[in-house]
Amino acid sequence: MKKIFFYLLFLLLMSFVSYQLTINYIPKLVYEVFHYKIEKNQNIKDNEIKHFDIPSDQSRDVVMPNPDFLYSVSFYDLSKKDLNLKGNMPDSTYWSVSFYKPNTINWYVKNDQEFNTNKLDLKLSLNNNLKENTIQSPVEKGFMIIRILVEKKDKESIDYYKSLQKSIVIK
Amino acid sequence: MKSLFKIKLIIIPTLIIVSFLIGIFVAVSNINSSVQNNEFSIKNGNWIVNPNMDLQNNFQRAYVSRIGVFALDEKEAIYFLSSKDNMGKNLSSDFDYEITGNPPAGRYWSYTLYGEDYYLVNNKTDVYTINKENFEKNYPITISSSRKNSNWLPSGNEKQFHITLRLYNPDKEVYINLDSIELPLIKRIEK
Repeated sequence: MKKIFFYLLFLLLMSFVSYQLTINYIPKLVYEVFHYKIEKNQNIKDNEIKHFDIPSDQSRDVVMPNPDFLYSVSFYDLSKKDLNLKGNMPDSTYWSVSFYKPNTINWYVKNDQEFNTNKLDLKLSLNNNLKENTIQSPVEKGFMIIRILVEKKDKESIDYYKSLQKSIVIK
Repeated sequence: MKSLFKIKLIIIPTLIIVSFLIGIFVAVSNINSSVQNNEFSIKNGNWIVNPNMDLQNNFQRAYVSRIGVFALDEKEAIYFLSSKDNMGKNLSSDFDYEITGNPPAGRYWSYTLYGEDYYLVNNKTDVYTINKENFEKNYPITISSSRKNSNWLPSGNEKQFHITLRLYNPDKEVYINLDSIELPLIKRIEK
């Protein structure tokens, strides 16, 4: 009888541990699957930037994409070096830079009105060197999204915003 | 003594495997059930909104990662989602709908349709949104599988679809009153 009680208690405890581990791991799993998919489908490595076209009904990289946006994304890794993010951004439409932890939590976002300039020049670092354009990342590895709103969908507007999007580099 | 050791050698690993499977199953079921019931969502009419990016615990983090990753915080953008018309019926391309009322105040707004799989509704016209820029004033927004002259959101051939109202840089009054602010109605109309 004692043995059965022990086994049941053991089962209960181990189930609880497994439950907590699963709950803790789900966001990371979602991120890892996304990382794998993008890396494989888009041929992008860490600390490289990928400029996506405006999403369409054929887009399958992420659910509920916003078809009004041009997205540029990067998986960053600061273990070896700091990163510089530079580019020419639009001056009359919404755009933003956002960073996420591997558990998909958004830890930084800043938009065009807050930047006050259309020259994007940011340094991403694990250390805070107190320079104005430096962002201190709370995590060594994470994900970055730059969103550019394309209000008008005529070819001229799209080409213009795409040319700006292409100017964004990460080094 | 030897046989007792052998029994333990079988029972303990079996218990570990079974308990881990139970833990995984219960965790995934709980998350799925919370997602189905919009447990952490704010409800306003037939719209739901998930503004709580300042997450309190691992369960909420897991929940958010299941409903939509890489969203922005509420000051930057708010995402209202609806899968039902004003009568509480599922949205379907078998019917036409009209969106009445104005979106809440903010810098930019857009309506987008997503299929049951939460990808953009398939359509040949490449029209996916009605937004602040392409919205024609004095005309209602019509959701239909057949072409309309103005403010048309194609519903394709989706037996069930969802609609998202996105609001970028919403006014503060919007994100502090998410459960009571007046939101547009999605009315079923004659096809």
